[in-house]
Amino acid sequence: MSLTYQQPDIKKPVSKRRKKSNRAQWIGLLYIMPAIALVVVFFVIPLGMTMWMSLHKWPLLGVQSWVGLANYEQLLSDNGFWQALWFTIQYTVAATVGLIGVGLALALMVQSQGRAIAFYRTAYFIPVVTGFASASLLWVWLSNVDSGLFSPLLQNLGLTDERTNLLATYGPAFWLVTIMVVWKMAGFYMVILMSGLQSIPADYQEAARIDGAKAWQRFRYITAPLIKRPFALALIMCVALSMLAFDQFYIILNGGPQNSTITAVYKIFNESFVSFRLGYGAAMSMVLLLILVALSIVQLRLLRDREDS
Amino acid sequence: MTIKNLAISATLATFIVIPTATLADTFSLWVRSDGSEFMPKLVEAFNAQGEHEARLQIVPVTEMVQKYGIAAAGGSAPDALSLDLIYVPSFANSGQLKDITEFSKSLPYFDSLSQAHLELGTLDNKIYGLPFSGDASVLLWNKDLYREAGLDPEAGPTTWAEIREHAEAINALGDETYGYYFSGNCGACQVFTFTPMIKASGSDIFADNGQTATLDTPVMRSAIEFYRNMVKDGLVPAGSQTDGGQNFFATFASGNIGISPIGSFAIGALNNQYPDLDFGVTFIPGQNGDWSSFAGGDNFVVSVGTEKMEAIEAFIELAYSLEGQKILATNGALPVRGDIAEDALEGLDSRYITSFKAMENGSTPYSIYFNDLINSRNGPWITTLNRAIFSDSAEEIQNILKDGEKEMQSIIDAAN
Repeated sequence: MSLTYQQPDIKKPVSKRRKKSNRAQWIGLLYIMPAIALVVVFFVIPLGMTMWMSLHKWPLLGVQSWVGLANYEQLLSDNGFWQALWFTIQYTVAATVGLIGVGLALALMVQSQGRAIAFYRTAYFIPVVTGFASASLLWVWLSNVDSGLFSPLLQNLGLTDERTNLLATYGPAFWLVTIMVVWKMAGFYMVILMSGLQSIPADYQEAARIDGAKAWQRFRYITAPLIKRPFALALIMCVALSMLAFDQFYIILNGGPQNSTITAVYKIFNESFVSFRLGYGAAMSMVLLLILVALSIVQLRLLRDREDS
Repeated sequence: MTIKNLAISATLATFIVIPTATLADTFSLWVRSDGSEFMPKLVEAFNAQGEHEARLQIVPVTEMVQKYGIAAAGGSAPDALSLDLIYVPSFANSGQLKDITEFSKSLPYFDSLSQAHLELGTLDNKIYGLPFSGDASVLLWNKDLYREAGLDPEAGPTTWAEIREHAEAINALGDETYGYYFSGNCGACQVFTFTPMIKASGSDIFADNGQTATLDTPVMRSAIEFYRNMVKDGLVPAGSQTDGGQNFFATFASGNIGISPIGSFAIGALNNQYPDLDFGVTFIPGQNGDWSSFAGGDNFVVSVGTEKMEAIEAFIELAYSLEGQKILATNGALPVRGDIAEDALEGLDSRYITSFKAMENGSTPYSIYFNDLINSRNGPWITTLNRAIFSDSAEEIQNILKDGEKEMQSIIDAAN
C-alpha cells in the first residue's frame, strides 16, 4: 500500500481521499491483527523473555539474579558450546547436501502426471508425516545391534566381519542419523522443488529440445534458473532446521559415542534442563539465533535474482 | 512479566474456579516409571475408598526432574509426587516443596520410618520428604539358564571371579545367550549397580561428604578391568555399549541373560509381566566376597502451592498402613515402615527378604550435584565409565579415570 504525496491544491477531495485511505489502512491493520497477535504472543514475547533471561543467573528452580553480560562472557570461553556448534555445522552441511540432492532427484522423477507417479510421490512423502521422535525411536530399534535390522543385515551381506554396533563409533553413528534424516525429510523438499518444476511452461523445454539442447543443458540453462526461488526456500528451511537438530541425536545416540554428537540445541537443552542453568541456556539460544539470522541473510543474498539487485 | 507472575496468576485462577476445601478432593500425583508396578495399585486402592481421588501420571525416569522443574516454573506442578530421594534436598532448597514437619511428626509410627530416606528428606530440621518406597540394587540370575549350563540354580555368584565363571558357562550355551548384562551408557543405572561393587571392595566414588571425586583408585581400576574383560570376551551383548537405560530391565527379562545387576523393582515387574522367568536374587558382591547395595527409592513430597493437603494426607496414611505396605512389597518396592515391614513381607519368597536386607544395609552415595555429575546422559561419570569399560587397550584405563576424576572435581568446585 504505497501512498504518494500530492500537492494539496484542491482541499476537499484530498481530505476525503485521506479519510478513505486512512480507513483502508485501519481495515488493513484489522485484517492482519490475528497474524500479528500470533507473532507477538508466540515469537516476540518469548524472544524478549529469552533475551531478558540471558542477562540473569536463572536456575530452573529457585530465585534469579541479574548478572548483566556475564553469561555471554562465559560463553566465549566455553569449549563445549563451540564444539557443539562446529559439530552442528558439519551435520548441517551433510544433511543439506543429502536432503536437497535427494529431494531434487525425487522431484525430477515424480514431476510428471500418472497414476504410478502419484503412488511414488505418496510413498516418498509418507515418512515426512511421522514425528521426529517416533521416526527416531523406529531407527533406535532398527539399529539395535542385538535385536535390530541393520547390524545383522550388514553381517549377512558380508559387509562387516562380525555383528557391529553401528551406534558405538562416530562415523557409522553420524551417517546413520544423517541417512535417517534424509529418509524422513527428503519427501518434504521434493514437494517444494516439484512445485517449482511444474510451474516451468512445457514450451521452454520443447523449444530447447528443438534447438538441440541436451538433457544436462536443458537442466542447467532452463530448469535451474527457473526453480531458483523454490530452491532458495528449500535451502533456507533445510539449513535452519538442520542447525536446530536435536531429537534424533538425543533419542538415537544420547549425544554419544563419547559426547561426540551433541548439537547446539542439545547443548542448550543440557545446560537448561540437566544443569538447570536457564539463563546460560538462554544466552546460548541468543547466539544461535544470531548465527541463524546471519546464515539466512547470506543465503538470500547468494540466491537473489539478478533483477532484484 | 516473569514466569513466577504467570504461576501466581495461574494459581489464583484455580482458586477462583474451584472452591477450596470441598469434601472430596482430587489431587494430581506423579511417579517415575520405576514405580509403574506398585503406584497404580496403590492409587486404585485409595480411589476405591471413595472419599478422595488421586490422579496418577507416570513419568519416564530419565525425564522426571526436567519435567517437574518445568511444570513448577510454569505453575502446573502436580500436587504431590513420589520423588527419587536423591533430588529432595535440591528441590526443597529451591523452595518448591511444602514443609510437612507437623503432619510427619504426628504420625504415631514416625520413628520407625526408613532413616536413610528421612535424612535426605530433611533440610534445616524441617521435613520436606517422607519415606515412600524403597529400591535397593541387587544381582539377578536366571535359574533356567543356570540349569542348562550345569550350574547350581540355587547358588548365585558371591565374588567377581564367580560372576565371571558362571557367565562363561552360560555364554557357552549358544549364540543368542549371554553371560552378563549391564546398561553401559546409563549413568543412573551404573551408579545404582556398579558403585556397590566398588563399595563392597572397600572404596567409594566420593570422599569428604561428596566434596571430592575419587574415580582413580586401585579398586575402581580392577572393577573396570573386570567389566572390560567380560565385554572383550563376548560375555556381554554388544548393545550394552550404547544402552542409555532403555534396556536396563528388558534385556534380562528377555530370558537370554545369565546374570545382571538390577534393582529390587525388577522383582515385581518380572513376576507380574514375565511369570515364566525363573530367577534368583542375591547381593551385589565385592571383589572377594562381602556385598553392598545402593539404597535408593522415593520420598513422598508435596508441591508448595497445593491446597489438597487433606486428600494427600489420607493417601500417605493409606500407603503407610499394612495394606499399603503390602501393596508396595508385593509389587517390587520395599516397605519403608520398619515396625510392620516383617508383616508386609510375610508370605513373600526369599527374594524379597534379600532385597529388604540389601536396603537396610545399603548406602546412598550423595552429592547435591547428582544430576550434573551422575545422572546426566553426557555427564563425566557415565562418559568416563563408558570410555574405560569399552576401551581398546587396558593401558588407557588409568588415564581415562584420571581425566574423569578431574572433570567431576571441576564441576563440584565450580558449583561451590
